Amino acid sequence: MPDANHWIVTGNFTDDGAVAWRRADGTWSRRLADAGLLPDEATATALVAGVIANEQREICDPYGIAVHASGDAIATLTTRERIRANGPTVPLRRPDGGVSR
Amino acid sequence: MYEYDDYDRRIITERAQQFRGQVSRRLSGEITEDEFKPLRLQNGLYMQLHAYMLRVAIPYGLLSSAQVRKLAHIARKFDRGYAHLTTRQNIQYNWPRLADVPAILDELATVDMHAVQTSGNCVRNITSDHFAGIARDELLDPRPYCEILRQWSTFHPEFASLPRKFKIAVTGSPGEDRAAVRFHDIGLRIVENAEKERGFEVLVGGGLGRTPLIGSVIREFLPKRHLLSYIESILRVYNLHGRRDNKYKARIKILVAALGVDEFRRRVEEDWEATRTPALELPDEEIARVSAFFAPPPYESIPGGADRAAALALGPDRVLGNWVKNNIVAHKVPGYSAVVISVKMPGVPPGDVSDTQLDAIAGLAERYAFGRVVVTHTQNLVLPDVKTADLPRLHAELRALDLGQANVDKLTDVITCPGLDYCALASARSIPLSLEIADRFDRIDYLNDVGDVSIKISGCINACGHHHVGNIGILGIDKRGEEFYQLSLGGSPGNDAAIGEILGRALAQDEIVDAVQKVIDRYLGLRDSADERFIEAVRRVGLEPFRQAVYGASGGADAVAE
Repeated sequence: MPDANHWIVTGNFTDDGAVAWRRADGTWSRRLADAGLLPDEATATALVAGVIANEQREICDPYGIAVHASGDAIATLTTRERIRANGPTVPLRRPDGGVSR
Repeated sequence: MYEYDDYDRRIITERAQQFRGQVSRRLSGEITEDEFKPLRLQNGLYMQLHAYMLRVAIPYGLLSSAQVRKLAHIARKFDRGYAHLTTRQNIQYNWPRLADVPAILDELATVDMHAVQTSGNCVRNITSDHFAGIARDELLDPRPYCEILRQWSTFHPEFASLPRKFKIAVTGSPGEDRAAVRFHDIGLRIVENAEKERGFEVLVGGGLGRTPLIGSVIREFLPKRHLLSYIESILRVYNLHGRRDNKYKARIKILVAALGVDEFRRRVEEDWEATRTPALELPDEEIARVSAFFAPPPYESIPGGADRAAALALGPDRVLGNWVKNNIVAHKVPGYSAVVISVKMPGVPPGDVSDTQLDAIAGLAERYAFGRVVVTHTQNLVLPDVKTADLPRLHAELRALDLGQANVDKLTDVITCPGLDYCALASARSIPLSLEIADRFDRIDYLNDVGDVSIKISGCINACGHHHVGNIGILGIDKRGEEFYQLSLGGSPGNDAAIGEILGRALAQDEIVDAVQKVIDRYLGLRDSADERFIEAVRRVGLEPFRQAVYGASGGADAVAE
């Protein structure tokens, strides 16, 4: 597993609960790759406090996580955050009764 | 089954209207998530990893075909085309949008359903034996008492903010506990006293989670008329003395253990003597009124029907025969059978059932089973009243729906919590292990040879997958962000209640199903005969042979310290 070298801020969208990643410009994305990189935990913590104070309508339960960023790629460092970023690892039932990812 | 009256409908409709306003205020930003959270939890709405999750109450697991169709409709219109059967006989939707939840609650209310008290620190859905009303070994149908408890506990003002959630289970079959009553906050067993009067044996303080405990009997016989007053006294003692400073120490089992069962009993009896009033007594007329809703359906008299299932089980159609042997349970009425529909198909998360399957099941229930379906705590479905002569046709229809799996109580009939694929509390994934187990062992002759064995998987110590009471229990844990699994053996939820014992050090994800295979191989090698069940063999020989099989010479000795 790579070492952490940045932090990012994440949460869930109030509208549908989908995982949200905070961009550098302060907007929110559904793609991990869009997350704005922060230099350290203290910066992430301060940003989270601001989100709680000012963006609570759009975002629930924000928090910061350590990541490894290299070039354009951002890698999360725990299984939990990998699953949050990529969705369930198991099949979802489809309306036709079949099985699909 | 119970039919809502005007009062029931009014309170559910009003609650849905209230929640519509709360959702509107949350979406507008008028209230924060911290303010909204307790309100949504009171309506069964959680925030999971990827989306909201709505848990719908199914009292004692019993559904009408109209309700099943409504659940299918909601899955199709508001979710992703499927629902998930839970280990407390409820269903969950994993993908609702917040703005749609009020409409879902409105839809549920049209068929006398809701999501009230499926979350929060209150009395949760009352669970029961999934063969209630039809079991041959039943002393008395427990469902009327479940329904009375449901009505009593719904919006009960004194118990709306307990120290922690509170779960009650009732069984009417003293000979075989299919409702795991010894692992509930209150377990009620319908029993008969020396005077042949029927009442309740009352157990308290059972539970799973991070402190698994087997419930203790605090009253050997409670007359039926005192059911509500006595349970109120238990809850009152808990409400007053249960810990609120630490959520991990807040369940009633911790209080009972701390006080000792004798002191807990003394306090309950003292409160009961001081507080019980005629207003809370259940008159025979009220019990009869509620029981009338659970009157047997119009069974036909079917001469010679009793032997039919046995003949089918041994017949030349081995696919049908295995299904009859494994999924059919004897019914109290000759000529009828209870059919367990396995919702444990290879390649599909356990307990996930699609909208098209739900619609079809509703139709099957109407044509074959008086329009009734029961959700089991093992994440399967039961059609409780099927003519045994109809089994071949029903089986063919279930197979066409991908619901003909003949594995009930077998190695691949795994109880599985949603785990880290969905759940915000989970430490590790559960469903992938179930899928791997299904892939590995899904050979009918092998399943039949191994016989009855329960595997139960929880993705965290909260134990929604009941791993403590699995013959083979698997608990997911997080070690520095990676998934590991503890294996335990010897658990059982029934009259022979036992908490499984950890076998050894935690195993990596790619080791755990191999370990299950080694345990089963060892069992097959050491069992006395093909009749000695897995759990019996574990009790006879202890864990050491299995420990050696899984860990070799090290015996996993470093395990328990983790």
